[in-house]
Amino acid sequence: MSIPQAVLIWVVLAPGVVFAALALFWLLGYTPGEKFLTRLSSAIYLGCTAGIAVLSWTILASRAAPMGIVISLGNWYAIGHDHFSLVFMADRLSLPFLALAVVLSGLIGHFSATYLHREPGFLRFYLLLHLFAFGSFLAFAGGSFDVLAVGWEIVGITSVLLIGFFQQRSAPVENGLRVFGIYRICDIGLFAAIFALHRWAGTTALRRGFSHLHGMPVVVVCLLLLFAASGKAAQVPFSGWLPRAMEGPTPSSAIFYGAISIHVGAYLLLRAEPLLARSPLASGCVILIGGLTALHGTFAGRVSADAKTSLAYATLTQVGIVFIEIGLGWKWLAVAHIMGNAIIRTLQYLRAPSMLRDYHQMYAASGHKEPVAAVSKRTGRLGQIQLLFYRWSFDRGHLDTILDRWVIAPLFRVSECLAKLDKMGTSASGVQAHLILPCMSGPLSQENPE
Amino acid sequence: MSLAGEVETAHSAAGRLRSVVDQAASLLPAQGPIGIFVHHNPLHAFEDLTFEDAVIQAGQLLGAEPYMSEPDYRRELARGRIQLVDIDAVLDQENDAHIFGWLHRRALRRAMISPGVREFDAATIVWRMEQGDLKRELNLPAPGALFEACWARTSAHAEKAVPTHPIHEIIHPWLIRLCSVFLDQGISCWPMPDRNLGLYESTRNLFSQRGCIFPQHLQGLDRAFRRQAELGYSAVAVVLEYLHETGCAEADWLRVITSELQALPGWAGIIRQLEKNPAWAPHHPLPCSLMDYLAVRLTMTRVAERQGVADAAAEPDLLKTQANRRLSRAARIYDAARVLRLAPAEIHQLSDLEWAAFTREVNACNGLERRRILHLAYERCHEREVLRSLASHHQYRGPAEPAARPAAQIFFCIDEREESMRRALEEINPRLETYSAAGFFGVAIHYRSIDDNQGAAFCPVLVQPEHSIVEHPRSEDNVLLESRRSRRKMLALLMRNFLVSSRTLVRGWIATFVLGLLSVVPLVGQLLAPRRYALIRAWLHRTLLPRPRTKLAIVRNPESSQPADSGLLSGFTVDEKTERIAAVLRPAGLTRNFARWIIILGHGSTSLNNPHESAHDCGACGGRRGGPNARIFAAMANQPHVRERLRLQGIDIPADAWFIGGYHDTCSDEIELFDLDAVPRSHQEELCALRADLDAARARNAHERVRRFESSSSSTDTQQALRHVRARSEHLAQPRPEYGHCTNAVCIIGRRGLTRNLFLDRRAFLASYDAAQDADQRGLAALLAGVVPVCAGISLEYYFSFVDNDRYGCGTKLPHNITSLMGVMDGHASDLRTGLPLQMVEIHEPVRLLFVIETSPERLRPVLAANAGLQKLADNRWIRIATIDPGSGRVHVLREGRYEEFQERVERLPVALSSAEWYSGQVQHLPMAWIHPSLPVREKLA
Repeated sequence: MSIPQAVLIWVVLAPGVVFAALALFWLLGYTPGEKFLTRLSSAIYLGCTAGIAVLSWTILASRAAPMGIVISLGNWYAIGHDHFSLVFMADRLSLPFLALAVVLSGLIGHFSATYLHREPGFLRFYLLLHLFAFGSFLAFAGGSFDVLAVGWEIVGITSVLLIGFFQQRSAPVENGLRVFGIYRICDIGLFAAIFALHRWAGTTALRRGFSHLHGMPVVVVCLLLLFAASGKAAQVPFSGWLPRAMEGPTPSSAIFYGAISIHVGAYLLLRAEPLLARSPLASGCVILIGGLTALHGTFAGRVSADAKTSLAYATLTQVGIVFIEIGLGWKWLAVAHIMGNAIIRTLQYLRAPSMLRDYHQMYAASGHKEPVAAVSKRTGRLGQIQLLFYRWSFDRGHLDTILDRWVIAPLFRVSECLAKLDKMGTSASGVQAHLILPCMSGPLSQENPE
Repeated sequence: MSLAGEVETAHSAAGRLRSVVDQAASLLPAQGPIGIFVHHNPLHAFEDLTFEDAVIQAGQLLGAEPYMSEPDYRRELARGRIQLVDIDAVLDQENDAHIFGWLHRRALRRAMISPGVREFDAATIVWRMEQGDLKRELNLPAPGALFEACWARTSAHAEKAVPTHPIHEIIHPWLIRLCSVFLDQGISCWPMPDRNLGLYESTRNLFSQRGCIFPQHLQGLDRAFRRQAELGYSAVAVVLEYLHETGCAEADWLRVITSELQALPGWAGIIRQLEKNPAWAPHHPLPCSLMDYLAVRLTMTRVAERQGVADAAAEPDLLKTQANRRLSRAARIYDAARVLRLAPAEIHQLSDLEWAAFTREVNACNGLERRRILHLAYERCHEREVLRSLASHHQYRGPAEPAARPAAQIFFCIDEREESMRRALEEINPRLETYSAAGFFGVAIHYRSIDDNQGAAFCPVLVQPEHSIVEHPRSEDNVLLESRRSRRKMLALLMRNFLVSSRTLVRGWIATFVLGLLSVVPLVGQLLAPRRYALIRAWLHRTLLPRPRTKLAIVRNPESSQPADSGLLSGFTVDEKTERIAAVLRPAGLTRNFARWIIILGHGSTSLNNPHESAHDCGACGGRRGGPNARIFAAMANQPHVRERLRLQGIDIPADAWFIGGYHDTCSDEIELFDLDAVPRSHQEELCALRADLDAARARNAHERVRRFESSSSSTDTQQALRHVRARSEHLAQPRPEYGHCTNAVCIIGRRGLTRNLFLDRRAFLASYDAAQDADQRGLAALLAGVVPVCAGISLEYYFSFVDNDRYGCGTKLPHNITSLMGVMDGHASDLRTGLPLQMVEIHEPVRLLFVIETSPERLRPVLAANAGLQKLADNRWIRIATIDPGSGRVHVLREGRYEEFQERVERLPVALSSAEWYSGQVQHLPMAWIHPSLPVREKLA
């Protein structure tokens, strides 16, 4: 194992190891203090940043590894031709993403030390932050779709747990559940794509670019990946979950929905770019969905009156444009766009509580009295169209309403029917009576026969 | 409208509905837009009730806790913060009653509080008996038999079902979004169409659109609104129709409207506040109306009801069966019997009547009642300690020193955060004298600085300013102002790109590339090196945007100046100035022996990323920063013709006395002095010494503040402490830039002699008042009328935000989300949260403010009686009142309308050489101590 390979492995594993160790201690009943957690977090991410610097220097400066650094830790399991290989890779595409994830995780860890001071869930937050960092490093440094999917899932679950961070209120938990549902449904796309790749290409390793795959299989795989990416990146028609995700503490909103998690979907498509390039149909779909999302995001954002929802749609709008760029094959433009978007949104989310003062200063500095609420003069047909447009944007394109009425509600009805069938089958066996009885029959009621 | 018309409306249904809505609206939170945070009593509407009744009634109505939890009080009891003598004293004041045999109510209650009974409920009782804390206990023979005896005589009672509100879950997301876009002050790019017509009509227009999809349970909402539009309904008509259709009798209106408004009290409250005060809107005034809100809400409710959604009783809790309820009732009686050491046989022997009386008394002393008693004892203990310490200080402090001319006299706000500042100054230089007055220093103004386009009122919210003051650049700095203005416009453009344009589609695309990559600098800088980043920013500000020297237009010529368009008079006449200055100096007792320097310090607080920033500012300036008021006061007092008039009134300010205004930032502990270039040459030298004293004092002040912050290290010196507090004010991630009024508990109105050299731990509002110079009590009346409501409002806001942070406060700051630039929500769609956040109240001790007034009960009584508002606060015990006689030092406490003499043995206070010695290493609230730097050997006192 060469030095860069070892560095790569250590960078990816470090937050995971820390998470596992902390979680184990916690389960054993030991809760580390705030200072220790803060220092630990600074130490890991500083170390990781140094590691990333070494990797960048190796890849960018030396000609030795033009294809990037690849390291294979063998197979997790292998059955016949199918195998799950633990392969990691750092190339020119994954490096910027890795760097972004490392630096932002460190910054958010530093920020949260002060922000979450004295919060009862302090340790829980840091556990989830390290787990999330581990997941995103796995996703960005995964050398195959298999490894990427593991990271993808970890990012998803930490995202949901942080949305529901404030468990004592019901809204965060309900919204977390909804996000979880959408993530899981879209994960089907990723798993189906991986299954299809194993089946048709025999491998999911990214390095070879699946050059021997042609025709229909390419389109199918691309569309499945697009389905997965759309859910994770909150593209139309799944966009409704993004504002609901704003229930967690501000720094987690910043790193998840301003920077890393929201762009993982785009990264998946960037990884599938060799396939996309061979399928105009799939590329067209990517452009279409990206375009619709960009329009949806900008319109829904224009009528949002709270800081975090407004920022969520601002991020979404740009992610939509990133999808268009990917569909058009402008890979490096998309990467640069993602970096810019991630940084500015992180800053904006972290500064969201300043919006009151910022607006006041902006109005005062502009020198003139701010236009009194541009009262739109609506006349005739044009006015009517404007109103309709506003109405449409107000309900965020009716996306959630449609999902609720024509997807979720029928699903519930079906499951209710099934539940009834189930009850009919089990009522005779007296399962319910068993559930209730222990509550009614304490030892005392036996002692006091009344 | 003609008189006849008015009479008619008042009698019509619409008129009656309006008055019902007004009545229901009085229960809504009175908080306006969060940018100007004014502390007030959250239970303002209940002030006609006594405090103890009000907290219970309001708690039932609003679903909130009246006191701290019982375990909290038990902890305080365990650590001695509540003492048994106080519990006994509280019980002794209340009616006693005979229960049976030897048992009286007092004895029962005393036993139920200490050693104390436990709380039982039907949901957990079985678990506790089978596996929990009761398992072992009840297996012992004696307690087991006692329990069985109680169980045998207990019957179960039915329980009220808790209703659920499925309709709320359906309509609230829509209502919240509607309210937020309607009220929005600039976050959304597109304002809500037609919002100048009001919430109801604009919503109706919006939702009447054809071709839109509604959620399952709101189908038909468009038809409902279209029908109302065709019939030409007004908001009142819609509400009346709803009440009529649902068959709601008029007697029931108040209940229905109240519960509708209380479903989202924050949003309804802000609409109500903006309806009453349209000018409070930060940028765009809007036609708000609570009736509009109700009309929209009830239309949605009606549609949801038609879709088959109905409020229903919750499904019965399987854990709260009849048998479990009986068990828990039996356990309550058992526990009371246990603490009384009753034998099982005694229970069996009780007659039915005696048993009924016993259970009634036990049930009457339920958790709420025990918490009430514990709370009263908690306050009483605090009261005893404060009064004992003040009396002791009065007795032992020794004769006042001969009145030499002080080096300087410094006026502060009455704010309790300035107490440590004053103490530090006097410790550093005993020749300094400090005074205090409400932080607007009698100068109620509408003020506009050179950087603002609109002015704002700098005075208590209850006062309507009649004068406007504008800050102008000096004529030689006019050019500077011009360049400043044009550069600020460029800054505004940059901010607009970052804040607004970056959120759009095409401009956002460009901004993401350009500003996105540039954002690395502020992101990394602000997070990793906040202090250095702030320094660089400040330096850039100074270099690029130099501030011109300014003057204030305070002179008004009574003949020529007419009220401007705004109805405000610009500047003050000589008489008005004289009146304002005398109104501050005379009650404070500063009418002679003026020093050569008199400094007036206003205060405010600066912090980053803090929507509640304004809650730390000066309450007497209406939630703004009091610098301008201090500056104007000083400028007026320096005018020779004003001094001449003052001399006629008996306030003799010598010619060599110089007033100067200043500003103290209570968060970063910076002090800025204004108009230093106008200081006469003769005074320049002393200025340096004074400046040095102020700097040393603010460093000590910072040091004393820092002990409260868990995240600071305990071994800091004063300069490190100063850096620490400054870093707090400049840190993006800091949810506790300062603790604000968190420690308030007392308000002392009297001469500084009463409190000088006394360590009050930043817990006391201090108002200077000299009874000797106020023979007719007019000064006291004016002082109390201003000070009491402000301080009581602060104290009660902290009390309620502490005891129920979720309902009266706004919960933890961490998920807060600024909405419409009006307030904060939790997450993406919740009620608008009012009150104080958890991080602001966490070290508070919830006691009602104790006013200690240096006067006699005989003199205080008529003053209170003459002011209905004060009398109500005092009679209903929203505040606690005590007096200390200026001469004899005898202390009286107002209890149940009577002044009782405070008769406790007064001992000498502990002595410390400096404040730092007393508090070093401590983080909790500290008792008072005598700070005596001039006594090097402590044994001297002993």
